[in-house]
Amino acid sequence: MKEQLEALLNDALAEFAKASTEAELQDLRVKYLGKKGLVTTSMKGLGALSPEERPAMGQVVNTVKAKLEEVLETRGAEVREASKAVRLAAEKVDVTLPGRRRPLGSKHPITLVTEEICSIFGALGFAVAEGPEVEHDFYNFEALNFPKDHPARDMQDTFFVGDNVLLRTHTSPVQIRTMLKQQPPVRIIAPGTVYRCDSDATHSPMFHQIEGLMVDKGITFGDLKGILTLFINQLFGKDIGVRLRPSFFPFTEPSAEVDIACVICRGKGCRVCKETGWLEILGAGMVDPAVYGHVGYDAEQYTGFAFGMGIERIAMLKYGIADMRLLFENDLRFLKQF
Amino acid sequence: MIVTYNWLKEFVDCDLAPEELSHLLTMLGLEVERMETIGGGMDDVVVAQVLERNQHPNADKLSLCKVDSGKEILSIVCGAQNFKAGDKVALAQIGATLPGDFKIKRSKIRGEESFGMLCSERELALSDESSGIMILPEDFQVGTPLFDALGTKDTVFEIGLTPNRADCLSVVGVAREIAAKLGKKVHYPGHEVQEKGAAIETIASVAINAPDLCPRYTARHITGCKLAPSPAWMVERLNAAGIRSINNIVDVTNYVLLEYGHPLHAFDFKLVAGGKIVVAAAGEGETFTTLDGQERKLTASDLTIRDGEKAVALAGIMGGGNSEIGDGTTEVLLESAYFNPSAVRKTSKRLGIHTESSHRFERGTDVAGLVRALDRAAQLIAELSGGVVAKGMIDAYPQPIEPRVITARLSRINLVCGLSLSAAAVKDIFERLEFEIIEEKDDVFKVRVPLFRVDLEREIDLVEEVVRLNGFEKVQATLPTASVFSDLPSDEQRLTSRIKDLLVSQGFSEVINYSFVAPASCEKVLLPEDDFRVKGVKLLNPLSDELSVMRTTLLPGLLDTAVKNISFRTLNLRIFEMRRVYLPVPEQDLLDEPLYVGALLTGNREAEGWNQAKGEIDFFDVKGILENLLADLNVPGVSYSTDNLDPYFHPGKACQVKIGNRVLGSLGELHPTVQENYGIATPVYYLELNFQALVNARKPKGSAQVPSRFPSTFRDIAMLLPLEVAAEEVVRCVKGVKAPELEGVEIFDLYTGGNIPQGQKSLAIRVRYGSKERTLTDDEVTRLHQRVVDGLQKKLNVSFR
Repeated sequence: MKEQLEALLNDALAEFAKASTEAELQDLRVKYLGKKGLVTTSMKGLGALSPEERPAMGQVVNTVKAKLEEVLETRGAEVREASKAVRLAAEKVDVTLPGRRRPLGSKHPITLVTEEICSIFGALGFAVAEGPEVEHDFYNFEALNFPKDHPARDMQDTFFVGDNVLLRTHTSPVQIRTMLKQQPPVRIIAPGTVYRCDSDATHSPMFHQIEGLMVDKGITFGDLKGILTLFINQLFGKDIGVRLRPSFFPFTEPSAEVDIACVICRGKGCRVCKETGWLEILGAGMVDPAVYGHVGYDAEQYTGFAFGMGIERIAMLKYGIADMRLLFENDLRFLKQF
Repeated sequence: MIVTYNWLKEFVDCDLAPEELSHLLTMLGLEVERMETIGGGMDDVVVAQVLERNQHPNADKLSLCKVDSGKEILSIVCGAQNFKAGDKVALAQIGATLPGDFKIKRSKIRGEESFGMLCSERELALSDESSGIMILPEDFQVGTPLFDALGTKDTVFEIGLTPNRADCLSVVGVAREIAAKLGKKVHYPGHEVQEKGAAIETIASVAINAPDLCPRYTARHITGCKLAPSPAWMVERLNAAGIRSINNIVDVTNYVLLEYGHPLHAFDFKLVAGGKIVVAAAGEGETFTTLDGQERKLTASDLTIRDGEKAVALAGIMGGGNSEIGDGTTEVLLESAYFNPSAVRKTSKRLGIHTESSHRFERGTDVAGLVRALDRAAQLIAELSGGVVAKGMIDAYPQPIEPRVITARLSRINLVCGLSLSAAAVKDIFERLEFEIIEEKDDVFKVRVPLFRVDLEREIDLVEEVVRLNGFEKVQATLPTASVFSDLPSDEQRLTSRIKDLLVSQGFSEVINYSFVAPASCEKVLLPEDDFRVKGVKLLNPLSDELSVMRTTLLPGLLDTAVKNISFRTLNLRIFEMRRVYLPVPEQDLLDEPLYVGALLTGNREAEGWNQAKGEIDFFDVKGILENLLADLNVPGVSYSTDNLDPYFHPGKACQVKIGNRVLGSLGELHPTVQENYGIATPVYYLELNFQALVNARKPKGSAQVPSRFPSTFRDIAMLLPLEVAAEEVVRCVKGVKAPELEGVEIFDLYTGGNIPQGQKSLAIRVRYGSKERTLTDDEVTRLHQRVVDGLQKKLNVSFR
């Protein structure tokens, strides 16, 4: 009987090893360990044994049973793993196919640059001020020390809507409006839309500027240099060269143009910087005492600086845009890049 | 303003290279915008010396020479006959490129090798014809590039002058700046005039009738002039400055204008009636033909130069055809005067004439220096035309102009600039700038500034001069100690950015259209003539009709942008613009400039893709976008009204967005006619919001709600109800059951047609019940739900399915 059981065990193990699905294993479990299974039936033979033989034989039967249970368990796990592996292989997707996307928009580069500049000056304590785009001659020119019939007015080709009403040619009138409203100390920036009747690859009849103004006791030209250098280093990087050179604006004196080392050629000279190695990005200067006269500030007590920059210019440098008109063509294939 | 390197060096000793000089000028505020080498190039053409000239063994007309190029002795074949051993010649070395892209290569001529070419003037484009090769002066250094040796090589600087620096509109002016920076003196060459003729007073007279407009008028007379072309050196410099050479007399006036910055005018004296110059206002309505052949209509505010009978020049702007220097000219009256800047500007602006002369007079000329220019020109004319200068000059100066005296405090200079200069340093700068120091006491300077510096009037002007000449680079960058705390960005400023972000996150790209639009744009979006938006403000001087009216609505610009993008095959569009519109305000110069949000969408909901759901955008897409905005900004209590719709909307698929009676904006599908007007194939949806109204409608977000820890239960209701019953009424009816356990209601299905009776719709809603204290029992939910069902049945008379 012992031999019989051992043969049974070997047969069973061979069949278990061959089975490759859970269903087959289940069938084998029934075949050997079921109520009418081969092992179960062989236990019935125990009754025919002598009482002396019975315990030893019983143990053999139990061992065989336990062994079969154990192997069934292991094989079951193996077969499950194998079939999972088959399923996983079948479920493989082409990961190079594009994903399912919700449409995503974009902010205009002018907005992005404006927001960046405002946040830099915000960190330096400059509050944002605004003013009208259709403006009185007084705020746009007169109070900024552009006398009527003065060649300085030729610097800015003006759109008029009435005798003394025009589209502001710069954001500088916001300086005047701010100073007329409050006494020093003043520390503002004024982003906005401005207009000049001019249109070509580097001029648009509508463009954007950011104006800055700081007035207090003891503000110096050195402070202007310090603030602008800090700003430029934030915007274009810490190692970018900055230089101030003398210029002229009716509402500042001394006046300066601010250049940065060419971001394209790093100062070596290229087409963008006209071989000079420098790019003009800002106009600035100390507020002219004549302006204080118009807003009722005491020019002896207070000094201050003002600066202004074209946002398009900075956007073009930051994003490597050669033609300003691209910024106003509103071609989504262009705008979606930002 | 154009000056050249060599020309400048005639007035100031300066050993800086052109590049260094360019930098120096830029850092003085005279920005060099362009630098160009002229008369140069061809550095491979050098001065060489012929050592031997021998007959070519195989050709009668050629010679075989040994030539010293300064570096080596070369064997060269030459066909010219006009030279001998020992002559200095122009040698084009191998590798040189001559005008006409003629490259010099090593060659074999009739069996003899030639290592270069001896050049003629014509081959070097120095003249139109030549006989034989160019023989150079003996003192030329062998090996020097030819054009360096000839001195024709020069560098042109184009300076972008700021309008305040009238004094630098000349070579002398720029030289003065260089001299001041380098601590040198400008040498004004003495222009001794060789006077030979009769005294000028016996020939001509000058009377000034308008001394306010012409404080000074000087003149000289030259006779026996012969009109001829100008010498090459003069023509070249005029060319460099962009001035066309005309004849030796007119050219001199232009040359001296460039050199001294003072405009001159030469009259053909024989055409000046009575030999009389009268400076007087024009007659009202008088006509006058200027040199350019244009007839000008003058007014009594225009200043003219007249003779005994008529106007002969428009003072300071342009001469007249009637007294022009021409072929028959032999006698010249040369004018050097000072005209009032704003008078010249008014006339030149009104007549639209801008000349080198008016440009300078408008900005202010040197009333003292004009005599120097007069003398220089008279002498040059005499020299170049063989004329004789009459004795003396007429100098009518009824209103002497005194140089300004300005006081400047050292303390102020240092305070404004952030410098700590000593009085001695400032004094040095003043002296370099040719200021006369009248007094220096307790660090206060009283200086007399030269008359050519018309821009210097006040202390601050001198402050600028000091920091400018001292060098901006010497100012230390410092940071101000601020005594002010600035407010954080206002709600409006933060929300502008927030709204843009929300739209971007829903697929919209921001566009920026011009603020000015075509006058027809309102009509194109169906606004009736009496709509307030049709009365946009017109520009008086627009660039074009298409850009001539300040927009009153964002819609036309967005539609134009949509059309442009659709033409580029971007068919699924989501664009927005958040900008101002410009609304006239009665009785007021300035406008109302409210900020508007305009968003426009058309095409499919999602981009084309292998796995993307396909579906055209509809009304509920645009409404969903608004709902997201309102939810994020926390604007509760909004209602949607289909009354008073703008005519550009589809009357059945649009609504106004309101809170009470206040309109925040509107949204919906655009009217098919608008769509047709713009030629767009797919329905277009539009949302517009008044930014300020939106901001004002916000409510502060209350305390955060703690969500229930117990699960909610859902019950669905499917009902049939008349088409005209709005979904909102159903929701309101459900919410009318005021029980805290009723947590929410959602519409999850809407169906018409099929087996639904005509005039009815099938609506399915899901009601959510729950409690914060416990899980509701089935009984409790059923009881609540029954109340909801009863309410619907009683109030809306729906039938359940």
